[in-house]
Amino acid sequence: MRTKFRYVAAAFGLTASLALAGCAAAAPEVSDSIVIDTAFTLETSDPGRNYVPTGYMVSKALYETLLDFAGSDESTPVDGLATYESNDDATVFTFTLKDGRVFSDGSAITADDVVFSLNRVAGMTESKANFLMNGITVTKVDDMTVELSTETPSLKLPALMTNPSLAILNSALVIENGGTTDDSDAAEAFLNETSAGSGPYILDTVNFESQVVLTENENYNGDEDIDFTRVVIRNVSEAATQKINLEGNDSQVAVDLSGDQVASLSDGINVFSTPSAQTIFLLINQSEEVGGMTANPDFANAVRYALDYPALLELAGAGSEQATGVIPPSFLGALENGVEQDLDVAAASLEASGYDGESITLEYPNDYPVGGVSFTPLAERIQSQLADAGITIELAPAPFTTQIDSYVNGTEAFSIWFWGPDYADSANFLPFSAGQKVGLRAGWTAEQDADVVNLAAAAENATNFDERETAFSNFAEALQQRGPFVPLIVPGSNIATASYIDGVAYNSTWTMDIAELQAK
Amino acid sequence: MGNTPRATRRYSARSPLVGYLLRRLGTSVLLLFGVTIVTFALANLVPGDPIAAALGEGAASNPATVEAYIQERGLDQPLPVQYVNYIGGLFQGDMGVSLRTAQPVASDLSKAVPATVEIALLAIVVSLGVGVALGSLAAYRRGKLSDQLVRVFSLIGLSIPTFWMALVSFNFFFLQLRIAPGSGRLSPALAPPPTVTGFYTADALLAGQWVTFTDALAHLMLPVFVLSLFTIGLLTRFVRTSVLEVLDADYVRAGRAKGLSGPRLLFGYVLRGASLPILTIVGLAFGTLLSGTVLVEAVFAWPGLGSYAYNSATSLDLPGVMGVGLVVGVVYLTINFAVDLLYGVLDPRVRLA
Repeated sequence: MRTKFRYVAAAFGLTASLALAGCAAAAPEVSDSIVIDTAFTLETSDPGRNYVPTGYMVSKALYETLLDFAGSDESTPVDGLATYESNDDATVFTFTLKDGRVFSDGSAITADDVVFSLNRVAGMTESKANFLMNGITVTKVDDMTVELSTETPSLKLPALMTNPSLAILNSALVIENGGTTDDSDAAEAFLNETSAGSGPYILDTVNFESQVVLTENENYNGDEDIDFTRVVIRNVSEAATQKINLEGNDSQVAVDLSGDQVASLSDGINVFSTPSAQTIFLLINQSEEVGGMTANPDFANAVRYALDYPALLELAGAGSEQATGVIPPSFLGALENGVEQDLDVAAASLEASGYDGESITLEYPNDYPVGGVSFTPLAERIQSQLADAGITIELAPAPFTTQIDSYVNGTEAFSIWFWGPDYADSANFLPFSAGQKVGLRAGWTAEQDADVVNLAAAAENATNFDERETAFSNFAEALQQRGPFVPLIVPGSNIATASYIDGVAYNSTWTMDIAELQAK
Repeated sequence: MGNTPRATRRYSARSPLVGYLLRRLGTSVLLLFGVTIVTFALANLVPGDPIAAALGEGAASNPATVEAYIQERGLDQPLPVQYVNYIGGLFQGDMGVSLRTAQPVASDLSKAVPATVEIALLAIVVSLGVGVALGSLAAYRRGKLSDQLVRVFSLIGLSIPTFWMALVSFNFFFLQLRIAPGSGRLSPALAPPPTVTGFYTADALLAGQWVTFTDALAHLMLPVFVLSLFTIGLLTRFVRTSVLEVLDADYVRAGRAKGLSGPRLLFGYVLRGASLPILTIVGLAFGTLLSGTVLVEAVFAWPGLGSYAYNSATSLDLPGVMGVGLVVGVVYLTINFAVDLLYGVLDPRVRLA
């Protein structure tokens, strides 16, 4: 019998020895390093081709742009590599580079670098960021001055120049390695191996599936004073793992925690919670052919006033807010207050719509939480609230990849969706106008609301910031009153860090500026 | 007489074994061809717009970008042409470009597959060792307390959801007890060893990087432990049943009658007799480990095949999905092939048939 037990003991011995190896290999000390866990969206280190969140976070650390945003304030661009001024028509913007700034190889940043970098993005039609340069002409004035011009007023241009896709590259180095200003550009492979910018960090190693390592740029002479000379950005897709890694000090920053996870974090963890730039909304199709009953504007009004928004917000967790309109709170023109439940108005609107109790199908993606908000419980609560108001809802969940097709093609009568800005400017929300991209997804043609079309045009073509803010507010207000959208929730963004880390500021494009992280 | 067996093992082109091998290889190639058709068809039948998913809202609304994207990837061609191009590319080692990572799928998979094989190999070794030991013990001690305990343990191993077990064990061994490292294949402070095999442990040893080796091995422990639990449960029950059947066989009784006991009886008679069904299960379990580790990989942030498959599927990355389908097909065909060959090694009757 003893012999048999020896076999068992041998098997367990193997396991135990392997486990002991685990104990033996303690994580090395990395006091000047910082580890950031995030669910990767990363496909290139070439800023001109990048258009995904993790890529932006990396680009922001490696490269600089003409303009920047201060902390979490995305309403007004501030100076970056350059200062700027515009003409009265907001069609010509003159950028003057700051003196003495250099790239990581020590060479000076000049107007030629700006012209090359911006024209490179404009010329690479296969780049996802290409559309950012639509309608913008770049001209060198002198070695330190560049002029950007547009045919029509474009007060969104300064905000565009904060986008890390429009980072300024070391043109000589990039051209030497295959860079051009058209589709023949072949510099991506080079930029995937090394960085050619002026940011506080340089690229050490990159693996698009697992991790990116950045190290200090010894030649950096900008305003940031970095505390961490080595940064590891790891792909940790499971938020629960991010939380455990952070609590176990295997990482120092967790980017994708939900409100619930933040609430249950152990002591000694800092959390920066703020409304994100995403808006979760109901779409109520205005095409009779698609929506039938939903095409009646009174029906949309009934839904709008039947909902109990604070009760819906309970599902969202830390940092979230009720959506006050399609424009989220950190953007120019966002409304101060959202719609409040008014069951009398809802009942009157429902009666005016001619609704006679038929079941309306509510479609939504059931596998794609936005900012930690899962759409299934949200849909169930909406169903319950609308039932109380006399509207019968049938739920029709489907996977995101299946559902998105019908949403994009405008064949959904009633659905839950979300919208996030492509770049940090309120012009991103003009597609909600009648006759525009998102408006048409809701069957809302330009002919159905000429007034909203005019308001959108006024916002688009404003030539000074005060006029622009008013125009966007008017646009948002009109949409809130009679648009085919019912904005519900702006989910929170929760960035959790080790207690000794400070300086986190959420940005809707680059999530956070790694260079701003400081050790207390 | 003495030379006869040796003569039969001098394999000529006409020998039954070579013929069998060639037939099996031919069948495998045909099956692989079928796999490419099925994965290509399924990937292209999935509803949704992969271009919009890959480009995002902003870029997808720019006709020039969409057009350039379609042209560059040949997505404007009819599906049969795309399939022929795909197959043509495969013969040159080109599996297409991932819509999600924008990298060649072959390059992505060359990193993901070794990561998964490394945990799967270790998991199957551990599972085999523990499963055979426990299963044999339970069979020898049929009806006794140790048998009951082993059966309960195997049932637990089979019943516990892997995802849940992964989270609990990660929390317990890493966060609470601090005896396991955090997620990933290596600690953040360490750079991966120079790639030779793609296995961090083996590559670290080859490079003489002892610290990297122990760190990589430590990171393997929890994923292997979690992955092994189910397979151990499965193997334990299977080994117990198989050994019980063999224990009653005449030749085992004859072995006992000759006075054999202990290791000689167990390895020379019992396990050898029970090896064929066990081998089948091991082969299947290994295939499952390679292709089904997605949840464990998600919890441990393990950049392997499972994670790649999941991310590709959820982002409508069709070249990525097809690449994974092809790899999984090759894995299963290879395992089946190897298992069939091992049948012949373990049991001469199979070889002769």
